[in-house]
Amino acid sequence: MASSLLIISRQAPWNGPSAREALDIALAGGAFDLPLGMLFLDDGVFQLASGQQPALLQQKNLAANLQALPMFGVEELFACAHSLQQRGLDGSTLELPVQVLDDAALRALIARFDQVVTL
Amino acid sequence: MTTLHVISHSPFGDNRLTSCLRLLDNQDALLLCGDATYALKPGSEPYRVLQAAGLEQRLFALEEDLQARAIPDELAKAVDYPAFVALSLHYDKVNTWL
Amino acid sequence: MSDLIVGNRSIALDKDGFLVDLQDWSHEVAQALAAREAIALTPDHWEVLELLRQFYDEYQLSPATRPLIKYTALKLGPDKGNSPHLNRLFNGTPAKLAAKLAGLPKPTNCI
Repeated sequence: MASSLLIISRQAPWNGPSAREALDIALAGGAFDLPLGMLFLDDGVFQLASGQQPALLQQKNLAANLQALPMFGVEELFACAHSLQQRGLDGSTLELPVQVLDDAALRALIARFDQVVTL
Repeated sequence: MTTLHVISHSPFGDNRLTSCLRLLDNQDALLLCGDATYALKPGSEPYRVLQAAGLEQRLFALEEDLQARAIPDELAKAVDYPAFVALSLHYDKVNTWL
Repeated sequence: MSDLIVGNRSIALDKDGFLVDLQDWSHEVAQALAAREAIALTPDHWEVLELLRQFYDEYQLSPATRPLIKYTALKLGPDKGNSPHLNRLFNGTPAKLAAKLAGLPKPTNCI
């Protein structure tokens, strides 16, 4: 059994390459059938906001790409309740079917995975 | 499984430290290196936050990064590179906050 | 870089034979691309190519093999969404070759 990996993505969609890199790790790992989870934390939850129009900033549509995660076999998707609430985002209107977790559940989540990387 | 969290960014103008403290489990440890050691500057706000977090023996900082920045090791246990490696092996995994 | 001649148009391809401009795609272009790979497109091919374009429209990226199989199974059923069927249609490299014929970028997560 391959090691499980939790990818924590905590940067806003176009704040440098971090959000894209986190997604690329998830897509590549998923294509190779690795057991992966992805957690959106801090500004990372802005990646999930609905109604974004990245083309206005000559950016690729990260939210559309994120929706491919379940197709790539990455179905364990999580968002931090505290980060959402701090930023005025409603967990029920996000672009991705994520489980919204409180801090205690997040600690248990991090403990459960074999490896964790935060981008 | 236990986690050693590693932060290298300054706590000022960034919330890695705050978020990490929220997600730190009671068996987990935190190691500060690079500009993250500024969090250990006595009298600073992050210093008070770290003090309140009460990590006791679970807060570490890289010795040379502390010394280079003239920061005392009163709140965290100062470790050299071999001790950093030993810590990495002691915990089940290392989560680097890039 | 090379060019594909379709009718009286010259269409730019990259070094791997993928369209440089995704807007250049048409059924005629797909047929010309397939001819370069010695494939005669059948209805079985076309439905996969249409599906790939739908995948790209939805997710803005080209699928690797695994998601291609999963998506095909989801949309066309398990009889079509399996690797033997897709391998047979696209010379054993369905993700790469079908993306090429459908006019999509080369899949990035593909070896």
